[in-house]
Amino acid sequence: MIEPTALERGYRRLLAWYPRSFRAAQEEEILAVLMAGAEQGQRRPRFAEAVDLIRSAVRMRLWPGRSGPERRDLADGLAVFSLVAPLFLLVAGILQVVLPYHTSMAADLVRFTGPPRDVGGMSLLRVHLFDITVGCEAVIAALVLLGQRLLAMLAIAAAAVYWAVSSWWMPSIPYPLQLITAGVYLVVMAALLASPGPRRGRELVNWRHGAMLLLAAVAFQGFAFWYAAKGNMVLGFGYDPVTPLYPLAGVVLVIAAVVLAVAARINRYFLLVCAAACYPCAAQLVFARFHTDLLGNPTPARLAALFVPPVLFALGVVFTAAVRHSLDDHGEMPIRRVTSP
Amino acid sequence: MQEATFLILTALAAGSQHGYGIITDVQEISRGRVRLRAGTLYTALERLRTDELIAVDREEIVENRLRRYYRLTPKGSGLLAAEAGRLQANAAAALSRLDLAGGMA
Repeated sequence: MIEPTALERGYRRLLAWYPRSFRAAQEEEILAVLMAGAEQGQRRPRFAEAVDLIRSAVRMRLWPGRSGPERRDLADGLAVFSLVAPLFLLVAGILQVVLPYHTSMAADLVRFTGPPRDVGGMSLLRVHLFDITVGCEAVIAALVLLGQRLLAMLAIAAAAVYWAVSSWWMPSIPYPLQLITAGVYLVVMAALLASPGPRRGRELVNWRHGAMLLLAAVAFQGFAFWYAAKGNMVLGFGYDPVTPLYPLAGVVLVIAAVVLAVAARINRYFLLVCAAACYPCAAQLVFARFHTDLLGNPTPARLAALFVPPVLFALGVVFTAAVRHSLDDHGEMPIRRVTSP
Repeated sequence: MQEATFLILTALAAGSQHGYGIITDVQEISRGRVRLRAGTLYTALERLRTDELIAVDREEIVENRLRRYYRLTPKGSGLLAAEAGRLQANAAAALSRLDLAGGMA
């Protein structure tokens, strides 16, 4: 077997910048071209070659071709997210509101945890607010299932206004629900704008997404219970011995969801978008671990820490799609021209 | 159509070529003015393949290296012919007006 030269290793390192699917198909071929163009005795890639390869690779990752595998990955990941995320919120909302308060589970929970108090982040007194919230989530989920992109976006905007107004007169809306809702809807709006839409998502969604969604929703509920129990301790309701189990169960379920996603080879762009949507909730949990309540005392810096990353991500998704459409309209990728000396 | 795309299609008009052959041919056609680099070339080839203007003709292994040959598709030939005609018409119009202006001077 021929040992690769230093030059070949250098080129391979540069080619690693390209998307995996492109490398699988083209790496050996491009390497042959690069090696054929190398000068006698050349030991490492020239600077201009490195710049050209990295620039082309980054461009391919950001603005993949119209129908190449990476393009399909990105667009399809967004399309699935635009369908699955509203369903996730609906499942999480049902777990938090409908089950504890409108079924026999409510009585069981109250019996188990003592006198009436917050359960899962919800106060019994606020049940109508959250019923309306779950109603909004059900409408949004139904609209994306029906493939009504524009109506879904309008419904999300209306739900956002409702949340904002509710927060004005009810500042103690439970943090996990508030954060996950804000983060997910921000990114769902971007995904609805930038993807082929929920109709395409409907074609692609499968049981793996459903299983991951359910695990994540139950994990989220575990964290919500933890918040409620901590709040109750502060309010003097006493220590609930089950409290440490809530975050533990949440972490185990999150790990299970991630393992399932990796094992089932779920679209990585879909996972990236999910991570961005969950960021505010995760940040709140991480900072809470260090006794910093970002949303409890919302200074501008803390709100920025919570919401600027998903806002930037959502803008990035929309910008990327806009530039891609612009390139598609012209039917061209800009091509570097070098005037020879 | 950008010049480099036009030159890549032109390089393939006479027959199939591999990547390095296209680079050298484009440099020759443009009289050394346009020198494509590998990253730029393969970005363009990927796009042209997506648009079905070119297709893979065959693959060869030469000195343990993969060579993939590309050829123009009928759609690519048609587009190149249309673009060449458009450029020719524009050039003819420009030259004729320059002649006219030269005659008037």
